[in-house]
Amino acid sequence: MARADGTAAAALIFTGEMYGVQLDQLAVVLGAGSRGVGAAVARWRAAGTAEAAVLGPGPRWVWLTRAGLASSGLPYRATPPGLARLAHLRAATAVRLALAATPQYVHAGAYWRSERRLRASLGGRLGLREHVPDGEVHWPDMGGVPWAGECWAIEAELTPKTLARTVAIMHELLTRTGDYGCAARDVRVAARPPRHARAIYVCSAAARPVVTRARDAIGPLATRVEIRSLPDGALLPDRPATTAAWP
Amino acid sequence: MIRRWSGLPAAQPLHRLLLWAAAGLVGGAFVVAAAPVSLVAAGAYAAAWQRGWPPRRLLSAAAWCIPMVLAWLIGTARSAPVSGPASLAAAPWTAWIAFWHLLLAGSVPRALATIAPVAIPLGLLAGAAAWSYRIGSISSGAGGRSPASAVTFDQRQWRHQVRAARARIAAPGSVPLTMPGDLLVAGATIRTVGHVAGAVAAIGYQRIRSHQVIVGTTGTGKTTLLLRLWAAFMATALRRHAAGLGDPPLLVVLDCKGGAGARRTAERVRRVMRESGARSTAIWPDEASLSLWSLPPRQLTTTLVDLIEHGSGSAAYYADVMEALVALAVEAPCGPPSSTSDLLTRLEPGWLSLAYAAAGSPADHALIAATSRHLTDVALRFRTLFRRLGDGLEGRGGFADADAWYCILEGTDEISVAEGQARALVDLLASFAVRSTDRREILLAVDEFSAVSRRLPIWQLYERARSLGLAVQVSAQSWQGLAAHEDDRYRIAAAAEGGIWLLRTPHPEPLAAMAGTRRALDTSRRIGRFMIRFRQGSSRLTDVPIVDPALVRGLDVGQAAYIYRGGVTYVQVKRVVAAPPAVARVPSPADARTTGPAVRQGGRPDGPAPQPTSARPGAPGAPVLADASSVLDAAFGPEPVP
Repeated sequence: MARADGTAAAALIFTGEMYGVQLDQLAVVLGAGSRGVGAAVARWRAAGTAEAAVLGPGPRWVWLTRAGLASSGLPYRATPPGLARLAHLRAATAVRLALAATPQYVHAGAYWRSERRLRASLGGRLGLREHVPDGEVHWPDMGGVPWAGECWAIEAELTPKTLARTVAIMHELLTRTGDYGCAARDVRVAARPPRHARAIYVCSAAARPVVTRARDAIGPLATRVEIRSLPDGALLPDRPATTAAWP
Repeated sequence: MIRRWSGLPAAQPLHRLLLWAAAGLVGGAFVVAAAPVSLVAAGAYAAAWQRGWPPRRLLSAAAWCIPMVLAWLIGTARSAPVSGPASLAAAPWTAWIAFWHLLLAGSVPRALATIAPVAIPLGLLAGAAAWSYRIGSISSGAGGRSPASAVTFDQRQWRHQVRAARARIAAPGSVPLTMPGDLLVAGATIRTVGHVAGAVAAIGYQRIRSHQVIVGTTGTGKTTLLLRLWAAFMATALRRHAAGLGDPPLLVVLDCKGGAGARRTAERVRRVMRESGARSTAIWPDEASLSLWSLPPRQLTTTLVDLIEHGSGSAAYYADVMEALVALAVEAPCGPPSSTSDLLTRLEPGWLSLAYAAAGSPADHALIAATSRHLTDVALRFRTLFRRLGDGLEGRGGFADADAWYCILEGTDEISVAEGQARALVDLLASFAVRSTDRREILLAVDEFSAVSRRLPIWQLYERARSLGLAVQVSAQSWQGLAAHEDDRYRIAAAAEGGIWLLRTPHPEPLAAMAGTRRALDTSRRIGRFMIRFRQGSSRLTDVPIVDPALVRGLDVGQAAYIYRGGVTYVQVKRVVAAPPAVARVPSPADARTTGPAVRQGGRPDGPAPQPTSARPGAPGAPVLADASSVLDAAFGPEPVP
């Protein structure tokens, strides 16, 4: 029971960190089936910690209410996931789940710092040209993996941006030295090591050519860019799923 | 009776005064009656005076009001009880009447909204006419109370124009690097004479693909201007190439001064080029090298012989002997030499005889026998030459390895070495332009080339470049710095089809004269006491210089006069700001001197040099990353093949 409570709490925090999660992805976090996740969401709704609704194609979305965020200790503003960002949120969640499922991630004790947390640390001081990655993966120094101590910037790319914009984002990610929310003078300091040792681009088939060209165009920084394909199930389904499959 | 009175001499001034008073009253009444138009005209006139705008700017603003006027006319026609041309023609009059009725009724906003579609364009037109008349009368000498009015007016307008241009370049996003239509933007326009005046000063891409001359003393913003032109060239050429309109660009800069300043500029160029889209920037000879030995044998022979300084008169004999020996060594049956040591080996006694023993012609054997006693001297001269040239020409790379090359020649410290390097680099570039299958749109920029042009006259470079289809951009600190002889200077300036950029320089007259003259009205007027000018005088057409040398002599930092086809545009150059380097480069004597491939950073010419590893990736001295593909492959599969 204690383990179950711990998993539910972790899933609650996961949901809050990712803005909102669809039920199939939440089921992966909970390690439960469709019935189990339905029951968990029903309990959250009864407790007033979460809300659920069909916002777009696919299963229902779950997001935390103000009370849920407060009980999870997350200093965010309670709001349902934006319709325009549903596809992107799903992709980012899929990337996080795929990474978290690897033995290296578990063994090294890596942790994911979500875009929502990064934006919260900026405290509304996001510069006009500042780009926030879709997540950061921090590998603890004593993690036992060769890349221990590194911080990776994760970008889930669904739609192709312009080449110039992609190059600019890559360059920004790889040359930033300060944490998000640091003083403006510390954002990029010449003598300091970069914040992100690597930028991991997890792309759809449509976005991959531009990202590849952008990597070719950024000179020596290209050695620090990894490009991979989005995992299965990262895209929103074309048509809404039936409620029988995902309540 | 009246005629008799008016004929009296004493009545004539009174008569004139009355006429003036009547005209003033009628004019004043008209101005008051057309108050909305008058107000807009006065505002437009004041704005043009304050910002130093040309009248064309106000006319353009009036033209932009046409959609508003059309929309208003359509709305008026629809709302009129009887629609037709008559109602449209009467619309301005009706609006004017309605304006006064509403104003008298106290409804000021409605009154203004009613008359605005008529008053704004008419006011702008009236303001433009008044401003144009003012400029014309002052510049011709017909206007103004004092004889110095024209000078004062011009100086004041220059200050206003400079202030407006500086404000424009300070506003974020108002001066882009390039514009649609393959336009390269240099900065904000201060003033134009004979050119079309726009808010930003832009030149077409084809002009930078022609020869250009840039002259300006140290500290006047020459490097800033050059950087901007190079960045705009790179960005435009890359865009054209992406659109299938041209070959990819290649920028080659020869910095003939050298020293620490050149290296700082090189780093700026690298950052600016990166932001402009250049894939890689190579800095020669510090971080990249070229191969002199990639030249075709005949060209290699000529280049090698030209690298050695010869005397004249009887010394010509030794020059011929040297050329014969070098030709034998380079064009030996076993193929051309592949390195300095290879050439020096061939110049050792006995090598030529052995090489030509089997395949040489009797003429070759006779030549070897006749010249072999000079072999040791020739080898000694080449050994000395290569020791001084360094290893920058000993690599395995070529110009195709990077999008931009910044070549530093130590023309200040070691003139003879820099002269040899310049000669070799130009020959290599010419060979690349002619023979390479990798077609490029090449811009060769030479800064202070006169420092090293003793053995390669710049006009000769111009003519070679013209035949090779590459553009040359020559910059110097003064007119005298362009070339050693006056004829050569004029030849260089006259060949600058892409225009002449003139920054502050103490002797701008020869280049300013290149713009020619224009016809202008010169009015002389009788001057009375207290320097008051009477209306009596005469006017004549005269030729005045298009570029005022005094104005060029007084240009501020960052200001330039662009002379092109009998016109000049004065520009406030917008500085190109590049992002600082992400990781500070740790200078290492080893990385600057090692020979090898043209590009010495793991196959990429751009960025910091390879550095030893340390614990933290990206830290100064340790950019080597551990292989993390295991976790990424496990999560997402292997990297997709493009």
